[in-house]
Amino acid sequence: MGWEEVQARGYSEFVRTAQSYHGRPIFALFCGDKDAEGRSWCPDCVTAEPIVRKELHNLPDESVFIYCLVGDRAYWKDPNNEFRRNLKLTGVPTLLKYGTPQKLVEEECFKAELVRMLFTED
Amino acid sequence: SVQAHKEEDNPQKTMEANGLTSVPNSYDYDLIVIGGGSGGLAAAKEAAKYEKKVMVLDFVTPTPQGSSWGLGGTCVNVGCIPKKLMHQAALLGQALQDSRKFGWQFTEEVKHNWMTMTESIQNYIGSLNWGYRVALRDKKVTYENAYGEFVGPHTIKATNKKGIEKLYTAERFIIATGERPRYLGIPGDKEYCISSDDLFSLPYCPGKTLVIGASYVALECAGFLAGLGLDVTVMVRSILLRGFDQDMANRIGEYMKEHGVNFIKEFVPIKVEQVEEGTPGILKVTAKSTAGDQIIEGEYNTVLLAIGRDPCTRRIGLDKVGVNINEKTGKIPVNDEEQTNVPYVYAIGDILQGKLELTPVAIQAGRLLVQRLYAGATTKCDYVNVPTTVFTPLEYGACGYSEETAVEKFGEENIEVYHSHFWPLEWTVPSRDNNKCYAKIICNIQDNERVIGFHVLGPNAGEVTQGFAAAIKCGLTKEQLDNTVGIHPVCAEV
Repeated sequence: MGWEEVQARGYSEFVRTAQSYHGRPIFALFCGDKDAEGRSWCPDCVTAEPIVRKELHNLPDESVFIYCLVGDRAYWKDPNNEFRRNLKLTGVPTLLKYGTPQKLVEEECFKAELVRMLFTED
Repeated sequence: SVQAHKEEDNPQKTMEANGLTSVPNSYDYDLIVIGGGSGGLAAAKEAAKYEKKVMVLDFVTPTPQGSSWGLGGTCVNVGCIPKKLMHQAALLGQALQDSRKFGWQFTEEVKHNWMTMTESIQNYIGSLNWGYRVALRDKKVTYENAYGEFVGPHTIKATNKKGIEKLYTAERFIIATGERPRYLGIPGDKEYCISSDDLFSLPYCPGKTLVIGASYVALECAGFLAGLGLDVTVMVRSILLRGFDQDMANRIGEYMKEHGVNFIKEFVPIKVEQVEEGTPGILKVTAKSTAGDQIIEGEYNTVLLAIGRDPCTRRIGLDKVGVNINEKTGKIPVNDEEQTNVPYVYAIGDILQGKLELTPVAIQAGRLLVQRLYAGATTKCDYVNVPTTVFTPLEYGACGYSEETAVEKFGEENIEVYHSHFWPLEWTVPSRDNNKCYAKIICNIQDNERVIGFHVLGPNAGEVTQGFAAAIKCGLTKEQLDNTVGIHPVCAEV
């Protein structure tokens, strides 16, 4: 079985989703919310998303890719939001391998080589 | 294996098989670095700056207990970093006790959880391992998790953990393979004892521990284990901290003894047996006196060996390219440009003969070497007046000569030692020892009383020593030191 994508909005939904896939490799991309026209308030997320999506075919079998919208700009800027506090996220976009210290933050997500390394190497 | 032989006959085929296009001189790489530790990574990243084609090979042979780790070498994984964090954990335990005298009130007794500490530290180390991989990939340095060894001129074989072998050629090589803990060679040592390679990721609290050795590794580990509340004994063959100023070494030992570490002096272990299996289990250690026939026995949950470290130079095919090593110690002699007797093979870090085994030294040597090779620089690594710190419960910072070495080199009549005890202000209120912290400087009378040795025993010794090391590098004299106004109230003003 290949890989699959699921979407989540907000912290609680993210945690519930991740827990439901416990036991499989989980990768997650965190981005700022999108408006009615599908544009995110986070310009780096707009740049990163297509680059990350282009590498998804490299995901290992059985893995899950969670595309998570974190919230609006005001929520994100709050230094105490749950993503910062509990998941230790420092910026958006963040692409990570859940349950490991492996992650790419902000401009690191623009580099296809690094995204591929995160998806394919141990 | 058949594949490897075919490739050996035709270097061009090798390159094509590895998906590479032609490189000048028909080598696969400009530079191959064997060892991804402090020295190796610094050299590789520096070389990438000059647009050189670089490969790093890093591989950790698991310990007898099965421990292994990621990219970054000893310092990051099983050395300086986890050591300092565990030392900090122990200091925080002491701080909690002190805090009551400063008015903090908490009713529960304070306990320590080994697993919580170890998980946090291993998590941090994991982020460092990942960070190095990102940095190398970003700078286009090829990294392979494979064991590198020379098989012929300009050629190495890299074997990964699945046993797959590949051949690579390079114009130049840097050996930065570092060291691993030495075992005693007595019955039971590999089966039942652990080393620093295992301690920092031990998945259970070590419990009552016997530390064998008198190195800084032994004393630092014994120190923080005791600070975390464990019953710790140190078994010493002769003196503490060989090579360090012995007056300071003895003060460190005395302090540890007064703060709950047991010492068994002038004994060596002769066998280790398992009494009970478990995590931890119970081990019985039998030891013999170095001064007579006395035999003693003791039971411990964990036995930690810290009797020395040996260079990883004996099984990397150095004989195939003719690189000389010191047969007795395994260390590699190099000239003052880190070059071995084979002109295209260089070496840096702990494996060097006659040089200090410190991360910043390896990093500096690696960077300067690469700048000389590819950027036309001429600066050589300065190994003189390198500051160090031992993170025993009472920290010890030093730069320059020990008192013994100064006397030996300059003659007792030509040196002057100025010294002082001091009582850190922070220790007064909680009534901690008032006569233990100590500092001394050794001056060369014949050279304007130039400061040639600096030693300090007290909290934050590393932070204190760093600045003085810079001053000593500038030629600090006693008079200049006297003319420098102190910062008050800090330990360093002494």
